[in-house]
Amino acid sequence: MTQALLEVQDLHTVFATREGKVKAVDGVSFELNPGETLGIVGESGCGKSVTALSIMRLQRPGKIVGGKVTFKGQDLTKVTESEMRDIRGREMAMIFQDPMTSLNPVFRTGWQVAEPLRLHHGWDSKKALASAVQMLGRVGIPSAAERARDYPHQFSGGMRQRVMIAMGLTTTPAVLIADEPTTALDVTIQAQILDLLRHVNREFGTATILITHNLGVVAGMCKRVIVMYAGRVVEAGPTTDVFANPKHPYTWSLLRSIPRLDAERHEPLKPIEGLPPSLVDLPTGCAFHPRCAFKVERCSRDVPALQPVGDTQLSACWVTQAGAELKGA
Amino acid sequence: MIGQSRVAELELPGAAIEGASTRPAQSYWNESWERLRANRIGMAAGVLIVIMALIAIAAPLFSAVVTHFQPQTIDLGATFAKPGAPHFLGTDELGRDSMTRLIWGGRVTLGVAFLTVAVSLTVGTGVGMLAGYYGGWLDDVLMRLVDTVLAIPAIFLFILMSILFRPTPISLALIIASVGWGNVARLVRGEVLSVKQRDFILATRSIGARDLRLMFRHLLPNVLPVLIVAASLGVGQIILIEAALDFLGLGIQPPTASWGNMLTNAESYFFHSFWLVIFPGVTIFVTVLASNIFGNAIRDAFDPRLK
Repeated sequence: MTQALLEVQDLHTVFATREGKVKAVDGVSFELNPGETLGIVGESGCGKSVTALSIMRLQRPGKIVGGKVTFKGQDLTKVTESEMRDIRGREMAMIFQDPMTSLNPVFRTGWQVAEPLRLHHGWDSKKALASAVQMLGRVGIPSAAERARDYPHQFSGGMRQRVMIAMGLTTTPAVLIADEPTTALDVTIQAQILDLLRHVNREFGTATILITHNLGVVAGMCKRVIVMYAGRVVEAGPTTDVFANPKHPYTWSLLRSIPRLDAERHEPLKPIEGLPPSLVDLPTGCAFHPRCAFKVERCSRDVPALQPVGDTQLSACWVTQAGAELKGA
Repeated sequence: MIGQSRVAELELPGAAIEGASTRPAQSYWNESWERLRANRIGMAAGVLIVIMALIAIAAPLFSAVVTHFQPQTIDLGATFAKPGAPHFLGTDELGRDSMTRLIWGGRVTLGVAFLTVAVSLTVGTGVGMLAGYYGGWLDDVLMRLVDTVLAIPAIFLFILMSILFRPTPISLALIIASVGWGNVARLVRGEVLSVKQRDFILATRSIGARDLRLMFRHLLPNVLPVLIVAASLGVGQIILIEAALDFLGLGIQPPTASWGNMLTNAESYFFHSFWLVIFPGVTIFVTVLASNIFGNAIRDAFDPRLK
């Protein structure tokens, strides 16, 4: 087995709020192998983004209170802030959900894309800009040399997301974290950006963590997927297996709630009943049990750990760990 | 025909669909400048202030070439001269040429105003930036300091200071700025609090920028518009404050001329030599009005939403 590039072990991130401690990330573990694209899915507020931000130690005002993030042999939760700055933007880059607001409105795009090169390689403006222009061309910005002189508001959403990706790639990082990179874009542009991310992954060998709530995106992009619920990983495994034969009722419900072309004509969509739990006041036992169609008595008592279920998958569910199949109306 | 070479150089499918913008590069600054230029009254006010400043800077030249008088030359044979040749704006009770004193006084008054604005802006921006960016206890400490400074009754502070130190233009500017920075700090802090919530700040941190670079290279330009507006509106206010202090004898001391202290003695002679009151008074009025109009024009140009 290959050595993991990035290994997250039992990560805990909390936010102190007036209502109490919010455990946004509550014992998340996974690894990212070199060159792979890993999907993280889950509903809004399940801790996907905070997990990503915690990896880069950008979770402020949240606090990492436990766990390890091992990257190239270093525990990122332990390195100094200045060592962390060296890793951000050089070894790990991040793209955000809303390309409309993630570029600084007062600077020309070329200057912004060149910023990591000036910061990390100490290149002068001219050299950095030349490299930035080249990178803008490579991510599919037409007439990149002229466009580098434009300001962000002169770009469309899709083009801005390309600019963000270019900015992330100038220093050829080992890890690219894409936090809902297509959520704010319309469908045709989504496809283009996903194409670009796939291309980047092949061309640069950049390992990618793709965070999304869109299962279709995961199916098309990722070999492996982890499913998060209420700050925990509830299922993990190869995308094809997880989708074909989910081992956690949450994944099972998610898959049933998306429209399918092969469904019966009048078969209604089946939404997951109820709302995700408040992270301040989690239910006892498995956090999903109040919404779960398969719950047994034990589910409201004990928290299930993530255990192998079947040959390739991991699941945190008492029901499937006991060998039961998820089938139902 | 779309150039085939261009299509060929694209590596990716679909990129050509979005196409390049044909609008010329228009920065925020360019657009604001265009809006400002279109505002004729605002521009006129701005030009007036620039002309005043230029005349003040060139005061010795004017003395030598235009008025042929020095600001402090006493001529007891020509006291209370009416406006006309050779004293275009008349003379005061000591026979000093009013126009010359007005021009030299502008040097002092405008100099104090610009210096005060520069100092309060620098200190206020620094404090507001630190408080807004770091938040937490630093924010609490700095903002309570600002509250304290702004709670000091300014006029008593000025009186006390002018007793302790003999006011010179520089010390006067520092004294006025010592309370003026508080408002700037509040303004900047508020702006920083709103800008730092935006994604691009997180994005900039995610590429490994250190705090100081983030604050002063990436954040400051986003705060600059409110600073420019504060500066241009501030000049008028400071001129009024300074004139009031001079008038009360707490500011610039005679025989050095300033617009404010030219009025100090003039009030006693108002009924037989009204020009001694009118000319400095009108000069202060026009300059403050121009500064306010220009300040408003700048605000409209930089932030059309506020209009």
